Amino acid sequence: MEMVSTVQNTDVKQKDADRALVVAVTTRAVFDAAAGDVYGMGVAFPLLQKVNERLLEKNPAESLLFDVVLIATDSQQQSSRIISSTSHYGLEVGRFCFSSREDLVETLVVNNVQLFLSTDRDEALQVSQKGVLSALLGRQEAPSESLRVMLCGDAIVRPDCDPVPASRGAAQSFSARLGEMRGRFGVSGSPLSIVLVTSSGGSKSCGVALQTLRSRGLSVDEAYCLAGAPRGPILSLLRPHFLLGDGVIDLED
Amino acid sequence: MSEIKAKDFAPTGDAGEEKDAAKAHFDNLKTNKPRPPKPQYAVTIAVSSRTLFNMVTERKIYEDQGLEEYVAYQRDHENEPLMPGPAFPFVKALMTVNARLRQLYPDSEELFDIVLMTNNHAQVGVRLINSINHYDLTIERFCMTGGESPTGYLEAYMTNLYLSKDSEKVSEAIEEGIAAATMFMAVKENELSDTQLRVAFDGDAVLFSDESEIIVKEGGLDTFFAHEKKFENTPLAQGPLKCFLEALGKLQRKFYAKNERLNCPIRTFLVTARSAASSGARVLKTLRSWGLEIDEALFLAGAPKGPLLQKIKPHIFFDDQMFHIEGARELGTISAHVPYGIGQKYNKGKLIESPAKKK
Repeated sequence: MEMVSTVQNTDVKQKDADRALVVAVTTRAVFDAAAGDVYGMGVAFPLLQKVNERLLEKNPAESLLFDVVLIATDSQQQSSRIISSTSHYGLEVGRFCFSSREDLVETLVVNNVQLFLSTDRDEALQVSQKGVLSALLGRQEAPSESLRVMLCGDAIVRPDCDPVPASRGAAQSFSARLGEMRGRFGVSGSPLSIVLVTSSGGSKSCGVALQTLRSRGLSVDEAYCLAGAPRGPILSLLRPHFLLGDGVIDLED
Repeated sequence: MSEIKAKDFAPTGDAGEEKDAAKAHFDNLKTNKPRPPKPQYAVTIAVSSRTLFNMVTERKIYEDQGLEEYVAYQRDHENEPLMPGPAFPFVKALMTVNARLRQLYPDSEELFDIVLMTNNHAQVGVRLINSINHYDLTIERFCMTGGESPTGYLEAYMTNLYLSKDSEKVSEAIEEGIAAATMFMAVKENELSDTQLRVAFDGDAVLFSDESEIIVKEGGLDTFFAHEKKFENTPLAQGPLKCFLEALGKLQRKFYAKNERLNCPIRTFLVTARSAASSGARVLKTLRSWGLEIDEALFLAGAPKGPLLQKIKPHIFFDDQMFHIEGARELGTISAHVPYGIGQKYNKGKLIESPAKKK
C-alpha cells in the first residue's frame, strides 16, 4: 500500500492550518519536466505571494493567507529535486506531499485543501467529482498587477437545473473565504481580482449571480455577460490565473 | 443574405455549441425574452454606462470624493433606477427596429445587439442592471471591466459602433478601426419618433475621409471647389462611420425585400456643409460607388446645421467638428462627436495649439 508522505518546507513560515486558504497543485502544473523551467502555476506564484505580503502588511497577525501544498504523484520524480527546484525559484510552498495518482483525492482531503489547481481538465474534473473544488490554471503570457480568479456564474444561477455538482459545498465555502480575503483590500489597488463570467444567461441572470455571490461574502470586481457570444475571444483578454467552473468545468482554452 | 461582418474567431466546437444552445433554450423558457443574436450576424452597438444613463451626480461624487465613495454611493442607491442618458433614445429606437425585423424574419440573427461596455466596477453594475431591467431594455450582454479600458473588448464583441462620454476611449476605438463617437446630451429635448430610427451623418471626416477638409483648411474654399470639381468622379476614401452606414443599409434592404420601403423603420440623413452645386456631386457619386444609399442628402452650403437638424429630429447626429456639435445640441439634437481627421486641430476655423500629450 502506498504511503503519502508530507514534508513541511522549512524555508517558509507555516500558516495557520485552520484559517489559511489551502491551495494544492501538482508538480506537473508547476514545473515543465523537459525544460526544467517553471510554467503554469509557477507563473501565478509571485502574484499569490504578493497577496500574502499585502495581507501581512495590513495585519502582521493575519491568518487568512494562501497556503500552498505541492503534490508530487509521479514516483519518477526525486523529492530532493522538487524541493530544491522550489527553493531555487523562490516559490512559497508550505508543504510537499509525495503521493500517487490513485491517492491524489485522499491527499487533498487529508491536507484540508480548499482549492485544487490543475493544467489538466480531466484531472480537475475527476477531483471535483469527488467533492474537492478544482480550477484550471490559465495560460499566462502577459504580466499582471493582480492575481485574477475567475468564476463561471452559470451554475450559480441555475442550482436546480443540472445534477448538483459534488463540489458545490466546497465552492460556496471557498467563495466565502476568498470574499473575506478580498474584503481586506479596497475597490482599487487590490492584489486579488475577482472576475465573473456568465456564458449563456442574459444580463438579468448575471445580475442575480453578482448578488448571490455578494450574499455569500464575495464581492466581484469585473463581470462579463456573454449571453451566448463565443467565449474564446473574451477569455483570451481576461487572462485569469485560476478558472473556477463551480464543479462544472466547461471552459475552452 | 450576405454577412454583416466577417467571422474571425475560433469556433467553440460542436459539443460546446450544442450545450450552449441547450442552456440558452432553457433560459428562454424561463424569461420569455428572445435569445440575443450571434455576434457575427448582428449589428453590435456598444454603449457606455454614462451614455445609456444620466450619471452626472454620481460622476461628481467620483471626481470630488474618489472611487471608494462613488462605489459605496452606487451600492446604497442600487435599487433606484438611473435617469436616461444621451444614448437612451437611440437604444429604444434600435429595439423598435428589432421588433419589426423579428416580425418579418423570425429566425434571422441579423438584428441590432446592444452591449453595455463600461469600465465601472461590477458592484456598480448591479445598479446598472437594475436600471436596464426597470426600463425593460434589451441589453443582454455586458462588460464591466472594473477599471480597465473596455476598448480591447470591443473587437471581441465584434462591435460595429461604440458610444462613450470619454473621448480618449473613443479615439482609441477609432484608431483600432471601430466606428465610435463621443456623445453629448442636447440642451433641450426634441420629441423623437418612437416608430423609426433616424440617424444623421456629417459627410467629410465622418462617412468620408478628411482629405477634402484638409484642402479647405489649408487652401481655402476656392481651392476646395476646384479640387472637388476636378475629382468629381474619383470616390472619396472611407471615413470611420462608413461601415456603420453600410450596416444600417443592409438592415434597410431587409425591409425593402418585404415591400416595406415606405414604412421602413430606419431612415438615414446626410447633413453636410458642402453645397449641392459646387461640391455635392462627388459625395453622391462616392456613395453610389460604394453601393450605399442615404435616404436624404442635405447640402447646407455652409449654413448652420442646428435648425435643419431640429426639423429632422434624428436619434443621433454624427459630426467631426465640435462647432457643429454645439450648434446641434443648442437646438435639441443629441449629438455624437467623431474625433477624426484634421478638424480636431481646428476650432471655429482657427488652428488650435496642440497641448502636450498627458502620459
